[in-house]
Amino acid sequence: MNHCAAVLALAAVALPGIANAGWTKTYVVEWNEPAMYYGAKDGVIDPGTDCPAGTNPEIDWIKVLVDAGYTEEEAKWLRNPANPTRSPVHGQNQMAFRGKDRANVYVHPTSTPDPGLVGVSGTIGEGIDLDGNRKNGFTSPTGEKGIDNEFYRTVGCWKTYRGPPRLSSGALQFNDSMRNGGWTTVIVVAGKGDDPLNDKDVTVGFFVSADKMVKDGNGNIARDYTFSIKPDEKYEAIFPAQSKNGVITSTKPVTGMLREPAYWRDLELLRAQVRFEMKADGSLTGYVGGYRPWKDVYTGWVNARGPVIESLTWVQLPGVYYALQRNADYSPSGPKGEKTHISYALRVDALPAFVMTPDSAQQVASVQSYRSQAVPEPQRTMAAIPSIRVVDGIVIDPKSKMQAGPTAVILPPKNLANAGN
Amino acid sequence: MYYGPIMPPAPPAAVRGKTLSKKHTALGVLACVAIAHAAGSFAAPASQNADTVKVALRRITESQYRHTIADVLGPDVKIEARFEPERREDGLLALGSAELSLTSAGFEQYFALAGNIAAQALDDKRREKLVGCTPQDPAAPDDACAQAFIERQGERLFRRPLAASEVQVRLKSAALGAKQAGDFYAGLKLALTSLLVAPDFLFRIEMAEPDPANAGQYRLDAYTKASRLSFLIWDSAPDADLLAAARSGALHSQDELDRQIARLIASPKFEQGARAFFADMLQLDGFGNLVKDPAIYPKFNQSIAENAREQMLLRTVDLLVEKQGDYRDLFTSNEAFISRPLASVYGVPFASKAEWTTYRFPESSERSGILTDVGFLALNAHPGTSSPTRRGIKVLEIFMCQATPQPPANVDFSKVQDSKQGTVRGRLLDHMENEGCSGCHRRTDPIGLALEHFDGLGQLRTIENGMPIDVTAELKDVKFDGAQGLGDYLRNEPRVPACLVRNVYQYGVGQKTVGRDRSYLAAQTQAFAASGYRFPDLVASVAASPEFFRVAMPKQASNAATVASTAAPSPSPAE
Repeated sequence: MNHCAAVLALAAVALPGIANAGWTKTYVVEWNEPAMYYGAKDGVIDPGTDCPAGTNPEIDWIKVLVDAGYTEEEAKWLRNPANPTRSPVHGQNQMAFRGKDRANVYVHPTSTPDPGLVGVSGTIGEGIDLDGNRKNGFTSPTGEKGIDNEFYRTVGCWKTYRGPPRLSSGALQFNDSMRNGGWTTVIVVAGKGDDPLNDKDVTVGFFVSADKMVKDGNGNIARDYTFSIKPDEKYEAIFPAQSKNGVITSTKPVTGMLREPAYWRDLELLRAQVRFEMKADGSLTGYVGGYRPWKDVYTGWVNARGPVIESLTWVQLPGVYYALQRNADYSPSGPKGEKTHISYALRVDALPAFVMTPDSAQQVASVQSYRSQAVPEPQRTMAAIPSIRVVDGIVIDPKSKMQAGPTAVILPPKNLANAGN
Repeated sequence: MYYGPIMPPAPPAAVRGKTLSKKHTALGVLACVAIAHAAGSFAAPASQNADTVKVALRRITESQYRHTIADVLGPDVKIEARFEPERREDGLLALGSAELSLTSAGFEQYFALAGNIAAQALDDKRREKLVGCTPQDPAAPDDACAQAFIERQGERLFRRPLAASEVQVRLKSAALGAKQAGDFYAGLKLALTSLLVAPDFLFRIEMAEPDPANAGQYRLDAYTKASRLSFLIWDSAPDADLLAAARSGALHSQDELDRQIARLIASPKFEQGARAFFADMLQLDGFGNLVKDPAIYPKFNQSIAENAREQMLLRTVDLLVEKQGDYRDLFTSNEAFISRPLASVYGVPFASKAEWTTYRFPESSERSGILTDVGFLALNAHPGTSSPTRRGIKVLEIFMCQATPQPPANVDFSKVQDSKQGTVRGRLLDHMENEGCSGCHRRTDPIGLALEHFDGLGQLRTIENGMPIDVTAELKDVKFDGAQGLGDYLRNEPRVPACLVRNVYQYGVGQKTVGRDRSYLAAQTQAFAASGYRFPDLVASVAASPEFFRVAMPKQASNAATVASTAAPSPSPAE
């Protein structure tokens, strides 16, 4: 929906007093996921140009545990779901303690040798040329060189992330949560010229709304709903940009933070840029890219219960840690500094929506920061699963008779064998 | 109108024909007793005196049921049930209610609901306020306290005092229940359940009595008058004040009648009465079955349907009750209430944190009055397309009281239903080549074609299948352009306020108007115009008129066997 005419008409009739930009288009993010180019025909684990051997293979955890120093009998006991005394607490939690001297590998990933993580070896990738160097990075599906997305290179063959657009398990999980009311992100695009499709002075703003998205009769997110901006201390990003033939691109990198569809919710981006296409049907689609702290991402997975992530998604988290560290490509302190950040792109699809000022009184007509209006909120938990107490990547149950740990007795005494813990 | 007897419903299958074991203690016994009492009410109607005569029966509507329970037993009593379907007759459910009986399945629903309501009304937190007395022993029967409760609540629910026999039978069940369960309030629940499933509650039984001022003539008894007033103005049972006026006979005087009408209209409950009337007249029950093709109208969902219904009522009640505005403005006002879901359909922002807010549509929106509300447009359309014919039929029927006959059985609709070709106007013109169709379509289609800038969901459009939509129309010698032109036409059409007058009268009395009512309706219409087309004045004028209480005596029943099944056949004096 082209809101431009509607905005102006309504402003004149119903909403006087709006400070107008030349034009304004407003959207709600109906889908967002890490930009992961999918190179196979179908299926998640099948080989493709992105991952010629398919996804990372299922892991032989008996071998992993034996390599970590457990006896084969202990390893089998820990991994045997039929073992009546193998409680989730003890059995799964013990998976964490496979580092040197049985250190917790989730919080001390370098306490174990790099177990490896198969990364993307294809040359096609999605995202944005963040460093302006067309000689590095991927080539976009449309042929653009220099796409910087080392995050994709690192985890693109991990089956959580792999799949056709909108079909990877991770994207489905978190977008379902968002679309069912978990959170809402709105986008305001405003230009000072006369033609939204070709404007040298465009600003793109990402904001939070407390208004939930609504599903239409087909189960998709409905267009044209109204969302009021909720000033937020953290989640806000404003991008200077331009539009050319309906494609919006950043004119200057910025720092910003978005709410990410992932266990670690803070998508903190340095040197962030956008690349969006204004579609004929009124929607907006494209990417937000930048360099993000890679350790945060790793922490997100650890806090999502390391043993569960590892078992279900076929990776060893220390391997992810090593891979992210290896592929990190940006240092805030300069080229010689520690590479604490990794290039990343979020694929975003947004629908036309009405976006209102925080008091809901009028439509926004320009892009501005609302951070100063944010009401301080209680410290938000970054726990991936707030209802569960996760410590160092494992769920602690103080009542359990057999606690996992470096010194835990793995095989239960005979008298406990049938006690069910 | 059906003046015959009501057949007593079969008892619920759950208890029918069963011999209760001792294990089926209090609850099962109570249920059986309650049903027996309910059926007993059919067999022994409580007449005020031997000369009264039953002149009409009207099953109370779902909204009347809900409002009555809220008023009598408390607004926080939850009513969670599916009600028996209602029936629309000559454009009004109120007319259909005079022809409705009660199925056994319906009775089972009422019975289950009654038990649930009684349990809520007499739970620990509500009983003290509702019962009004304290039993000497809460674990035993207390006839004095129970009788006071039965008489007081019975009068509110039956809209008349209970006869001694009606009290006694429920008193017995209350005592039996209290004894069986060892709980005074368990017995009281049984008595209340019995009241709630009695036909005297579920049906408005209108009674007439000999008119002392006109020998040989009948007049409605005062309690029936009270009910007519209360259900017309409040959509609920009479309150204590109105019942007192009936009990004393003061309601037969014009002064008291006028005083009561003024009181009822001044009450906040007049708004619920107006909502009920317009929900009936505007045929908003259709939203319950409204479906749209999600492939064509993806924005439609249950929330949109519910909001669209409410929007029409908010617009109507705000204009006619809150603002006491001119009824005719209903067709031209571009100010509406919108909600967040509806705003998405209208394609406008929702500038409020509240659930509803007012919104003035700009001229360019082509919105003008209730006919351009999403509710009217969506309700009177097909699941996948608009329907000028259906919209035209409903404008004529709802707002001008003009019925349109059903189409002949052998009509070929193939051309008009081919929504992939051209505009509806073109397809209808083809259709009207059939002489059997053109007579009606000439009346209906111009009205609907003026609304064609709104699709089957009521969204603004100007193109159909790539062709611009022409919304000019001509009805007899009147030409108008688009929805705003149609709104102006209806605003100035005398049949529109006349139709409202007729509907208010029919709704209130539960009877179709006939030829002899013409002069009365004309006079009421004139008074309505003189009031500035103010709805409250119209209601007051109709309610205060002698015609509102005119007795329509039942015709001689033709089926003797059926008549015999009622215990007290009414005398049938000639009309």
